Amino acid sequence: MTILPDFRYIRPANVDEAVAALAGKPGAAIIAGATDLLPNLRRGLGEPSVLIDVSAVPALALVEETADGLRIGAGVKLAELALHPVVQRDFPVIVEGALAVAGPTHRAAATVGGNLCQDTRCHFYNQSEWWRSGNEYCLKYEGDRCHVAPKTARCFATYRGDLAPALMVLGAEAEVAGPKGRRKLPLAELFQDDGAAHLKLAADEVLVAVTVPNSAKGLVGSYAKIRIRDAIDFPLVGVAAALKRDGDKIGQIRVAITGSNPCPLPISTDGLEGQPWNEATARSLADRLNKTAKFQTTTTVGMRYRRRVLLASARRLVDDLWEKAV
Amino acid sequence: MTIRTLNKTRVGSVGVPTPLVDGIEKVTGKAKFTADMPAQDALVGKILRSKVAHGRILSIDTSAAEALEGVLAVATGADTPIPFGVLPIAENEYPLARDKVRYKGDPVAAVAAVDEATAEKACKLIRIEYERLPHYTDAKKAMEPGAEPLHDDKPTNVYREVHHEFGDMAAGFAAADLVRERTFRFAEVNHMHLEPNASLAEYDPERDRLTLYTTTQVPYYVHLKVAQTIQMDPSKIRVIKPSLGGGFGARTEALSFEMIASLLARKAKGTVRLLQTREDTFISHRGRPEAEIKMKLGLTKAGKITAVAEECIQRGGAYAGYGIITILYAGALLHGIYDIPAIKFDGWRVYTNTPPCGAMRGHGTVDARAAFEALLNEMAEELGLDPFAVRRANLLPTIPFTTLYAQKVMSYGLPECLDKVMKASGWAERRGKMPKGRGLGLACSHFVSGTSTPKHWTGEPHATVNLKLDFDGSITVLTGAADIGQGSNTMAAQMVKETMGVELNRIRVISADSALTPKDNGSYSSRVTFMVGNATIDAAKALLAILSQAAAKKLDARPEDIECVDEVFRVSGGQHPGISFHEVVKAALVDTGTITVKGTFTPPKEFQGDKAIKGSAIGATMGFCYAAQVVEASVDEVTGKVTAHKVWVAVDVGRALNPLAVEGQVQGGVWMGMGQAMSEETHFDDGRMIHSNILDYRVPTAIESPDIEVFIVESMDPNGPFGAKEASEGMLSGFLPAVMDAVHEAIGVYPDVLPLTPERIVDLMDAKKTAERTAP
Repeated sequence: MTILPDFRYIRPANVDEAVAALAGKPGAAIIAGATDLLPNLRRGLGEPSVLIDVSAVPALALVEETADGLRIGAGVKLAELALHPVVQRDFPVIVEGALAVAGPTHRAAATVGGNLCQDTRCHFYNQSEWWRSGNEYCLKYEGDRCHVAPKTARCFATYRGDLAPALMVLGAEAEVAGPKGRRKLPLAELFQDDGAAHLKLAADEVLVAVTVPNSAKGLVGSYAKIRIRDAIDFPLVGVAAALKRDGDKIGQIRVAITGSNPCPLPISTDGLEGQPWNEATARSLADRLNKTAKFQTTTTVGMRYRRRVLLASARRLVDDLWEKAV
Repeated sequence: MTIRTLNKTRVGSVGVPTPLVDGIEKVTGKAKFTADMPAQDALVGKILRSKVAHGRILSIDTSAAEALEGVLAVATGADTPIPFGVLPIAENEYPLARDKVRYKGDPVAAVAAVDEATAEKACKLIRIEYERLPHYTDAKKAMEPGAEPLHDDKPTNVYREVHHEFGDMAAGFAAADLVRERTFRFAEVNHMHLEPNASLAEYDPERDRLTLYTTTQVPYYVHLKVAQTIQMDPSKIRVIKPSLGGGFGARTEALSFEMIASLLARKAKGTVRLLQTREDTFISHRGRPEAEIKMKLGLTKAGKITAVAEECIQRGGAYAGYGIITILYAGALLHGIYDIPAIKFDGWRVYTNTPPCGAMRGHGTVDARAAFEALLNEMAEELGLDPFAVRRANLLPTIPFTTLYAQKVMSYGLPECLDKVMKASGWAERRGKMPKGRGLGLACSHFVSGTSTPKHWTGEPHATVNLKLDFDGSITVLTGAADIGQGSNTMAAQMVKETMGVELNRIRVISADSALTPKDNGSYSSRVTFMVGNATIDAAKALLAILSQAAAKKLDARPEDIECVDEVFRVSGGQHPGISFHEVVKAALVDTGTITVKGTFTPPKEFQGDKAIKGSAIGATMGFCYAAQVVEASVDEVTGKVTAHKVWVAVDVGRALNPLAVEGQVQGGVWMGMGQAMSEETHFDDGRMIHSNILDYRVPTAIESPDIEVFIVESMDPNGPFGAKEASEGMLSGFLPAVMDAVHEAIGVYPDVLPLTPERIVDLMDAKKTAERTAP
């Protein structure tokens, strides 16, 4: 309906070309499945001078078993990821995360990289140009005030990706390509706690893959996405957990959340390992979740409920995994 | 009305599942909707909307926009001095705001330009100065003394008060063994029709004529209001409704975008395409208002209702629209479903600075019925009575029945509906014994088969249909009735087939084009099957009489002895093998040429309400559709999420003319009730609409859709076309109280705020735990 801004369109054939296309173009944006970027552009959220469409880069569409682990290309579609036999066999939590995203038609187009890098969301931001201009825009885009927390000088737009927490609890690494070559970093370090700039990617860098280490194969994981409708909706809050039992003790446990803060966050589990999973450790985990999750009024559903349901869902999730891990 | 026995396997015959006559175009994507209408040189129309929730317009400067290259027309309220409104007694909305804006989104100016970018740019160049006024998104705040009035003629912001009392209320409540009162709150909901609003207006400057293609349920009202607001002779206007992606009441009144498109086309002396976004469509709104309903019921130990008193406050939005009718319906349909000796209704329709509300499937009754049934279920529990037994204790005693509100009930299949869903749901064995977190719930509901009085009193028949028969033997049905996806074209074809004994594929239906089809009031209040169906039968009888005359002449018989079965005319009971349809047509056309006949229908006076009861024209109908439904639902005690698993719904539709279409309509009606019950609601924050997209306005998805098993009950209404009544609205409201009842069995709480979002359910569970902890 609303027309797109004018942009140059580049369709590189490989990663090097994509990186070269990014170089020196601060207004450039990467596009793949277009399920996140395009609706935003149609609402006037962003005016990229260049769109670099990476959907024709074959290397990005691969899922490969490597010495380091399972390497998932950023261009792999979520629907393909969920159907991949190795992913299904070794890392069902990834399947859960992928299938939790939006609806089937979105997943047929949306990619791993796009899902991980998706923009943060806020009901003062995800509105039409008319709506936002009538509200003096906002700190995240074109304005200078955060309507969610007017007294602060930062943006609280919320990260609502489903795949990130599922990958984080498996200890996944992100692989980023830039003019200086490739670098790898823990997935959690791809993000930072700022709704207006939640990715720690340089302007000339592109996410090319995530790798799930082989060591994660021993973990039992699951993702709980809290939402009102079981399709389409972004998470009101989401929590992923993965654990390994050592008899009656927790051998290893990782927890990550989404839908609460401007970025997906791992929850510290220091000191839980080696303990039994019981009321005390459950309370300890709840305290950590409570401390890390910083809800704001960025959506129509209240903060109190989202906090409450995060704690209750995390408890149920880990209870179930504890039983399953035997 | 007699019902002929027919070969039941023939598609198109009454009672035989029949695919819609325009179904192929819909499923193959060939059907043309308004936005698909080819118009290569069309200008782009764009509406500039108010960013202020309530304010006086001090000035509008359009000079820069007008000077912009590529801009062909700029319009403001100065071009629209005449207000419109669907009710002749309450026209207070201007296509483009004049002195004031009354909600965020109120149209203030409009532009026609060569392309979208230019139109957008031009809108940004229009400068508007406002004096901001206090604004209200809460009906009770708008009603407070000292509140700023939205409209000068209603200083208290109460647009309409209704106070009705029938029977002896004091005696009624005194006779009760249990009296309970509860306040329920229902969120505002939107129709979420799939096709957003759109108009294509073609103006011919040489002849001063306008053709308007538009997304409407009421082409005739659009025709009237466009002529009125842009001050054009209606004879120079042609209104066409192409295929339409749903309506559900959103399009039962002319809307500003249709008048703006017409105005721009005339100003620009050309063609203007005005496409509305989903956000625009949410702004046009006309949905079901937020309502606060205080319901009070008296019940005897045996479950007999002794009295009911309802107080209802509706947040109506910024303009009058259908408001008077909506608030009247909220009381009028307390009548007509049960036998209740004393009924009182007090209603307030309130102006607020939100998009105007209007008609929506189950118009006015849904929230009131939900509150009534929910309280009835709660009181049944308190009295230790089964919800089915309570309904059965209050059934109408005799049919025909006249309600206290002067409505006539001529057919009443509710008892059978109750039997059907009780059996199918396994109620007797399962209710009260459901696993933890799961429950069954029951409710009943009803709705009118069209209002018997039109809103625009003209003295004309309520419905008029033309039939044309020509040399080729084809029969063309010409009807103004708007097929909005509900299947009225198919229904009209079926009426002709059944009445005349001809094949369905001989019949072509042309509808909703004012240059070709006779005027029709439109598709609202479930009037079309009843009114247009009867008018079509009337026309088909007239045509059959002409053909019978011709056949009688050829067969040397009396016309009254001629019958037409499967396109063969013969003498009833005679030996002659008969003559073919074509032969008879040839004979009939001799000397007369093409035959055009007309059929009409008007509800008799006794069905038009009682003049002594003010407002009783609303809720007056020739037949009520009745429904009973059982919902099975579960509640996730961790997240508070309610899931509906299964619905058994039985609906008395009089007669299912097309069981395929009826089943779809019933499922759609239940489903829409489910959306309102479970997740749909509008959200405003300081006058700002937060919900204007399908992510934040949570219309259910396929996953949320329960299996809906439909049982058709046929009570054979004596006045309905072949016995038919309404079949798409009556079942909607029942879902809400039925799922509330199921939630009570599941987790032991009585919800009183809808929708039943996880957030609200969790709060109820918490409150219950707290109450249990603090209980002695």
